[in-house]
Amino acid sequence: MSSPFRPEPARLIDVKSENADTKTYTLKYEKVEKFREGFEPGRFVMISIPGFGEAPFSLSGIVGESAFETTVRKVGNLTRRMDAMKAGEVLGVRGPYGRGWPMREAEYKDVLIVAGGIGIAPLKPVIECIERRRERYGRVEVLYGAKTPDNMIFTDEFDRWRRIMDFELKLTVDSVPDMMAWKHNVGVVPLLLKDVKVQPENTVVMTCGPEIMMHFVVQSLLARGFDQESIYVSLERRMKCGVAQCGHCMIGMKYVCRDGPVFPYSELKGLPDLVV
Amino acid sequence: MSSKVVNEQEFRIFIDKLASAYEVLAPVKKRGEHVFQRIFDAGEVDLEYVTTILPPKKYLLPPSDGLIKLRQDGEFEEVEPEAPVRVLFGTHSCDLHALMILDRVFIDHFKLPQYVKRRRNLLTVALTCLNPASTCFCASMGTGPSPDQGYDLLITKISAGYLLEVGSEKGEELIRFAPGRQGGKEDSEEKSKLIGKAVNLFKRKIDDVARLPELFERNLEHEVWKKLGEIDLACGQCVMSCPTCYCFDVIDQLSLNGSESIRVKEWDACFTLEFSEVALGGNFRRDRAARVRQFIGHNLGWGGGVQYPELGGRTKCVGCGRCIRVCPVHIDLTEVVKMLRGE
Repeated sequence: MSSPFRPEPARLIDVKSENADTKTYTLKYEKVEKFREGFEPGRFVMISIPGFGEAPFSLSGIVGESAFETTVRKVGNLTRRMDAMKAGEVLGVRGPYGRGWPMREAEYKDVLIVAGGIGIAPLKPVIECIERRRERYGRVEVLYGAKTPDNMIFTDEFDRWRRIMDFELKLTVDSVPDMMAWKHNVGVVPLLLKDVKVQPENTVVMTCGPEIMMHFVVQSLLARGFDQESIYVSLERRMKCGVAQCGHCMIGMKYVCRDGPVFPYSELKGLPDLVV
Repeated sequence: MSSKVVNEQEFRIFIDKLASAYEVLAPVKKRGEHVFQRIFDAGEVDLEYVTTILPPKKYLLPPSDGLIKLRQDGEFEEVEPEAPVRVLFGTHSCDLHALMILDRVFIDHFKLPQYVKRRRNLLTVALTCLNPASTCFCASMGTGPSPDQGYDLLITKISAGYLLEVGSEKGEELIRFAPGRQGGKEDSEEKSKLIGKAVNLFKRKIDDVARLPELFERNLEHEVWKKLGEIDLACGQCVMSCPTCYCFDVIDQLSLNGSESIRVKEWDACFTLEFSEVALGGNFRRDRAARVRQFIGHNLGWGGGVQYPELGGRTKCVGCGRCIRVCPVHIDLTEVVKMLRGE
């Protein structure tokens, strides 16, 4: 019997700086030639550095059959250590775990993506998946907000995204520092919802960001006739095990690591300890 | 399944023989309270006990348990768990049912090798509880006072001594250690009568257990949570002493020379502020009221049979009453349910 807690060694093959405190890491399995489990948008992995611990990180890109990206902001011991790492170093990875974005359910429908801050990270592979299989999805609108323009990540992907057919990217920031040029919106993310063109009947919504942002996004969309089953939110909880045992991510009867992290809003109604 | 009746002296011989063949863990009286510990002699065992301070989970899910060895060269090795063959002797029905609930979490859904190996090597000699304490409420939870499954051997104190009943193939091996006569119909009839009497001795109960999930779902914002949050000390003793509280933390323990670290799982409690903390100090259960609700809700509302359908609706709580006994501010699950029901 093998332990569900044993990580596989994975080598850092690329590190790319996204902004002052956030980097995208590309990791390739050392001993695995082909993913044994589904690396799908919205799922997460547990990353380990011996002596520094282990934490959950969502996939921010899937590269071939044995490498993936994760986009990490340095906020704690483990992530600060990651920030100091260079290509060539080895980390431990287990997973992926959980339920990802509804890529199948969204086929032949319009897609509305609403992201706040680093919440765009798990949604980047959704955009890339749609880009690869463009004919399978309808119109795509992406609303993305951050505190300031400098806090935005994936900024050098934007031009490529904008060239995707029938795709619109709208940006907003909470504030713009003095003397900085900014030709997009200023204000919180939910304000961008007023101009979306996709219609409730034929759209799947995917949102990730601070829960308070998602709360207003969901309420605003419900008021406009979107139904609870077609709004998907991704929740952040501090998983310690990833396999529905440690209890840290428990919300009512749900384990976010097993039943989520992506949930249709209809499944979250009536659960305790939620802001969304 | 076979059964035997042994008198007091034969019973002691039986325990001594078991203790020489196996590592036997039994209730022992220590400074007025009972604990499960290894015994070598029948004289150490005291079956006249209410509950032990800590439940048997300490043997299957030790407070600190090595999972993975992480070497600096990037290799990750599994830590082979210690899993001796053990006999859990004289365990009450509530604690036996607790093991069945832990089995769902650590065997059926994701196999934790540490748990699986220890559980396979654990033989259970259960004890019919004929003298429930004022804090007990297993009868109303459907988990006692006598188990009808899940044990290898069951002991019931009857007028002639002790009735030993086999519940599994492993139990057949255990009963061979006992002298005494074959058990008869009149012995099992006496046992049923005694259980019938014991059921009437319970002072606490929770009514209509099947409707608890719905009760909690409807009352997530009930004022009782705020009130309990104001008196609760967040000490977590209830969690530590709960036979089914299984939540854990995972931490890396670095060796002194830094050459390797051991990743261990340690008991954790949803009552601590850190338990639900996410990056940058975010916390979804900052208020104590929310943490009390999580503990009681998991035990009676959304744990157990709600999360694991094969438990057939049984709650995570088995009614052992330990949390009531240890709570310094007298939070009582049976009273909380009454308050939620407006009784």
